[in-house]
Amino acid sequence: MASVTTTTSSKPPVQQRGTFSKKFNLNYFLQDNISGSRGLLIWVSILAIVTVGLLVQQFNNAPGRTWVIFGVWAVAVLGTVVGELFTLHIGATRWLKENMFNNVSNSLMTLFLGLFVAIIGSGLWSWGVANATFDPALTHPDVRTFDGASWGVLWGARKLLLTGLLEPEHNGRVIQWTLTILGLWALSFIGTRESTRETGWGTWVRRIANVGWVLSPFISYIFLAGLEYTEPFIDTRRFILGTVLVVAVMAILWFFKVIQLNPMTTAMWVLAWPAAYLLWRGITLVSHNAEIFTPIDVDRWGGLLLTVIFAIFVNILSFPIGILLALGRRADVQGIPYWILWPIAIALTAWGLYTSTFGNCIGTPSFLCENVNLWATSRNTVEQIIAFWPLLIPLATWAFLRSFDGNFLQAFSVLFIEIIRGVPLITLLFMAIIMAPFFLPEDSQGLSNFWAVIVGYTIFSSSYMAELVRGGLQAIPKGQYEAADSLGINTLQKYRFIILPQALRILIPPLAGAVIGTFKSSSLVALVGMIDLVGSTKAIIANSQWLGLRTELYVFMFVLYFLVSSIVSWYSRRLEDQAGLGVR
Amino acid sequence: MTAIMDGPEATKVSDVIVCRDVHKWYGDFEALKGVDLTVEAGEVVVILGPSGSGKSTFIRCMNRLEEHQEGRIIIDGIELTHDVRNISEIRREVGMVFQQFNLFPHLTVLDNITLAPINVRKWSRDRAEELAMKWLTRVGIPEQADKYPGQLSGGQQQRVAIARALTMQPKILLFDEPTSALDPEMISEVLDVMRDLAKAGYTIVAVTHEMGFAREVAQRIIFMDGGQIVEINSPENFFNNPTHERTKLFLSQILNH
Repeated sequence: MASVTTTTSSKPPVQQRGTFSKKFNLNYFLQDNISGSRGLLIWVSILAIVTVGLLVQQFNNAPGRTWVIFGVWAVAVLGTVVGELFTLHIGATRWLKENMFNNVSNSLMTLFLGLFVAIIGSGLWSWGVANATFDPALTHPDVRTFDGASWGVLWGARKLLLTGLLEPEHNGRVIQWTLTILGLWALSFIGTRESTRETGWGTWVRRIANVGWVLSPFISYIFLAGLEYTEPFIDTRRFILGTVLVVAVMAILWFFKVIQLNPMTTAMWVLAWPAAYLLWRGITLVSHNAEIFTPIDVDRWGGLLLTVIFAIFVNILSFPIGILLALGRRADVQGIPYWILWPIAIALTAWGLYTSTFGNCIGTPSFLCENVNLWATSRNTVEQIIAFWPLLIPLATWAFLRSFDGNFLQAFSVLFIEIIRGVPLITLLFMAIIMAPFFLPEDSQGLSNFWAVIVGYTIFSSSYMAELVRGGLQAIPKGQYEAADSLGINTLQKYRFIILPQALRILIPPLAGAVIGTFKSSSLVALVGMIDLVGSTKAIIANSQWLGLRTELYVFMFVLYFLVSSIVSWYSRRLEDQAGLGVR
Repeated sequence: MTAIMDGPEATKVSDVIVCRDVHKWYGDFEALKGVDLTVEAGEVVVILGPSGSGKSTFIRCMNRLEEHQEGRIIIDGIELTHDVRNISEIRREVGMVFQQFNLFPHLTVLDNITLAPINVRKWSRDRAEELAMKWLTRVGIPEQADKYPGQLSGGQQQRVAIARALTMQPKILLFDEPTSALDPEMISEVLDVMRDLAKAGYTIVAVTHEMGFAREVAQRIIFMDGGQIVEINSPENFFNNPTHERTKLFLSQILNH
């Protein structure tokens, strides 16, 4: 503090640019960097040896490049040292000192990483650019130059990579669908920007985007799967069944005071299904006559398209299911009392024992009478014991009452979540594809592989979602529930307005993680024979035309997965910022 | 002043809270051991007692935040049972103010207040906001309506919580230690609001440690200990001539610390 003179001692010393209050002290420097501890000494020595070794090796391999790197490093060290010793730091040297050369081991690390990046970078450059060919015509093994990448395979195999086995005449529809979804995303993005959020037209943009998102599953289905028209125009059974189902659900919700009904809303709910059904059939008929959206076999989807469809489908389906399971697991409803359960259990046990040991099919409905009388058909002791399986019913009843107090919702959710979480995804996928047909009626067409995998994957994903959401629900203080209760708000409103908005805000980072995880894990479906991005890559590598071009394809896959994952995580951070507006 | 502001006129049917032999267990621990209490319309009752005496549990039983296992609680002529409809009807008529305020942090002050009237009472947004602003003015913070709870001081938050309870137009107000979580200089602003409400004729049951408030505002003081009501007395007699030994000990501890 040479140049500063102070008139009063209480005035703090003014620090000038380029000076430091702490003077350089060699003893302290050695103590901090070398002699402070044995572990530090060992680490610095090893790092020094490795760095020097790498340096010498690189001098032999590529002297010019290594000279440049070492020279830059030496100049930077010199600048830092001069700045430190003579209190002559300028902005750049101070930045270098604080970030690159703030002690001996970090200075060595800087050199080491510089060399390392140079090695990797030059290798990648010579393989991927300098010696590479971008000509799709030069990808065949016979004409390939073997010392560089043959990026032409990406262009040559673009059809398989992007849409798999989809018939080329449907490519236009895939592009239209992609543009629609991107357009929706753009609308949402514009509508939620800081500058447009509060304006009137911003609200309208948001509304249009929200309606679009709600309809997006149907839009996607129409574009990607097409519409198949079957006679008659109105299937009376579906028409009535759907209406009855909607009305029944509403009646139950109304009975439990979850929703309130007035003549308007009642009419709306009664007419909801017929209106939606007629609209759907109308679109189908028009599309059939004009041959716009001709049906596509979903098992021909593939490549990036299939991967994206899996990710979207599974994430969108498993999120609400997960919320329901989480709420179910926490549901504190009145259990089914034992005096109802036990008589039913005993009756079932008696009936089961009777049919599996003495029973015959006379006078019994045929669907109850398949494989009865296990005792009579048993061939050994094990099968004789199995004939007494109905004895497990009282055991299950006892366990149910003891563990869950007759709380059916909770029991279902807990068992579902724990069983599904305890099974590897690949097992579920195999079960969905190979075992599901065993459970379906023999004469039915069966599920297509795509839908089987969607079901299996969604089940898996939603059990994880459920536990995530449960964690979010538990993070909400008890006082919030009590305040809501004390105001007379009913359960549905309590979750809709108070608990879920807060819980979902907490859940944005882990949910983004789950979405990314689902997206990447969808590559497992390649193992059950689906041609998704990974599956089509495998097919391309095995193709004689592109035989052995795995590195190029894996690099492409790496970039693609990384890009999509980064976009999701960037978007989740943006969401977090927006959602954080309320909690200041 | 509208009729709403001057307290509910409809509570002329006396005895709006009737508790008979109320028992409550937490596992093996008996928190309430047969509590009897009758509160008339327009009466201000303060419950005192050492911590762990069951006073909070008792008033939380009155709107079913806690479930009592034995005895009867009848609020405004409706008995608290397992029937969900009874419970929600009672909760509509009973406002509660908590020690920790329990405002909804993701909603603005105005949305905090209007959420329940709009969704439970089915009022229009305009009507709910009009009444909410009246109450915010009455508790002295109308200018904070568009802020979030996290931007307010503790005393302001508690006044918002009071406005939130009152905009539902309850017949009964329960206060569960409303000033215990506040900094000392903010206690008086909340007590002023409570005094104001007591004068306006609301039926109030309050658990508090503010002896000055109890002495000034309460018509009856209830002293609880060990899950039982030990003494019911007028404020003068309670502080000057307590009848029960336990009460004397309690008063000597809090007044001579």
